[in-house]
Amino acid sequence: MALVVLCAIFASQSEFFLTERNLTTILRNSVDLAVICAGMTIVIILGGIDVSVGGILAVAAVLIGRAYQYGAPDWVVILVGLSAGAALGAINGTIISKTRVPPIVATLGTMYIFIAVLFLVIGGVWISGLPNTLSFLVIGEFAGLPSGLYVIGAIYVFAWLLLRRTPWGQRVVAIGCDEGAARLVGIPVNRTKIQAYALLGLLAGFAAVLYVARMRNVEVNIGTNIALEAIAATILGGANIRGGIGSLIGALMGVLFIKITQNGLVLIGVSSLWETVVIGSLLIIVLILDALETRRIS
Amino acid sequence: MKDPLTQRLFFLFGLLIAAGVLGALLSPHFLQASTLGYLLQYVPVLGVLGMAQTLVMLSGGPGIDLSIGATMSLVGLAIAGLFGMGVPLLLACLIGVVIGALLGAVNAFLVCVLQVPSLMATLATFFAYSGLALALTSGSPIGGIPAWFGQLAQGRLLGIPVHMWTVFIPMAILLHVMLSSTKIGSHIYAAGNDERAAFLSGVKVWRLRFALYCLSGTIAGIAAIMTLSWFQAARPDAGEGMELLSVTVAVLGGAHIFGGIGRIMGTVLAVLIVTTLQVGLQLANISQAWQLAAIGLLLIGSVVADNAVGERLRARARRAPT
Repeated sequence: MALVVLCAIFASQSEFFLTERNLTTILRNSVDLAVICAGMTIVIILGGIDVSVGGILAVAAVLIGRAYQYGAPDWVVILVGLSAGAALGAINGTIISKTRVPPIVATLGTMYIFIAVLFLVIGGVWISGLPNTLSFLVIGEFAGLPSGLYVIGAIYVFAWLLLRRTPWGQRVVAIGCDEGAARLVGIPVNRTKIQAYALLGLLAGFAAVLYVARMRNVEVNIGTNIALEAIAATILGGANIRGGIGSLIGALMGVLFIKITQNGLVLIGVSSLWETVVIGSLLIIVLILDALETRRIS
Repeated sequence: MKDPLTQRLFFLFGLLIAAGVLGALLSPHFLQASTLGYLLQYVPVLGVLGMAQTLVMLSGGPGIDLSIGATMSLVGLAIAGLFGMGVPLLLACLIGVVIGALLGAVNAFLVCVLQVPSLMATLATFFAYSGLALALTSGSPIGGIPAWFGQLAQGRLLGIPVHMWTVFIPMAILLHVMLSSTKIGSHIYAAGNDERAAFLSGVKVWRLRFALYCLSGTIAGIAAIMTLSWFQAARPDAGEGMELLSVTVAVLGGAHIFGGIGRIMGTVLAVLIVTTLQVGLQLANISQAWQLAAIGLLLIGSVVADNAVGERLRARARRAPT
């Protein structure tokens, strides 16, 4: 609903907004965030949070860059990105479940470490001029529709099936609603947590593949904002930070909301510096509306 | 030694010495008298922010203030901007602190009145404040602060920076006394330990937390004055990274993320440890990446150690119920 209003505002202010080219651009820019948000939604439903996804994305991307530089073929590169992401995510999950460190503290710590790894591998210099053999995943078209759409669609259908149609998904929701109770009825809480964080890591690794495919370089400050954006999108989409509640479709709407705001502001001639202000204010408004809603119900 | 909090302080003290020894081993320049002044130069800003974060966490909820660094940036810009418009600098500072308190009050309103989870509420205001700081200045710093103002953070008294004497130490003592020997302090601990029990025994839990978020904004305003004096300019990114670093310091100092446990002394020691590590690695010319890694490891390691110690104490308590 809000999304439609937003689009209408931008469309009335700029004739370029509704052009096919611009919408494709928005879509392309949204792919990495959308992929990560699918994982973030699952982790938030689980009652956790991961502020280190930017670090995971960065490390995976830099490893992908290095793999390319060593002349590795595409499938190896993808494998490197995915397995690096999944491994780092599994580290997060292991720390959180085995040592009972609160997720925000644990992932805060691992974020510092991942960024350090990034600096050490990249050595302060951009990796650029990477081959474009994978660019079709983001930039290409298939049957008249941009391929990013298929990627997002596939990821979200997969995540939805996993969350809503498998016992594993039910376990995730159960843990998010009441971890103690879930433990008592025999749900393997620790294992499920590690799997969920590893899945988020895997998706962050995939986002890194897409990022490198799109930009064909790896910068030093890659992934700095994506964790906060992903959390913001998930919450905008109706997830409850306390766990148990969340919606994949909502999160996807949240992603589009953020990306359309960024794009639209530029088109109507507002400096891109204002975009964080707008996203922040929107987030505050959504939170207030949410709070009033909850109060009315109770 | 049975008290886990005292144990924690000893643990931190040991860590501080270890960090000092590490610094001395890494760099021949570390053990000079001038290093102390240089090191303490970095302490007060992070220190007061860490203390503010500790207070917000202590009162439970769970409480956290991610907007603290952005508030600091925004207040710094406001002061420099007001000064540029002809307001006397000291008056501008005063107004700045009030603005800080108001920005904190926005968080307080969201968290305490509307009951939005603190993590989300302050994440949103973090976006809004830091975005505003960048957008209002187009990313460039505001200069023109007179040289005499620099005395606050650049001057030395007995080899120790002036703002250690005038801001950091008094605030640490004040907050320590407030927590350990006043009614407000015991109410904060009570609210953090068991919200419901505290409420039933007459503690106005949410009013207390409201005040602490405002205090956090106020302290961020004071930190802004110190950075302003230090850099002689207001940078829109002055507080960048401070939100996470202040959480790190509070948690390393023993504050429990869900409230009820923690001490100002722990936070003070944690700030000294983090700064010693940073300066030591910096003097030894070791890449900034290792500084980040060291802080990350320290953060996770300290919580793990804390949990392990707590577990053992609880096990001991079970075995000997007297």
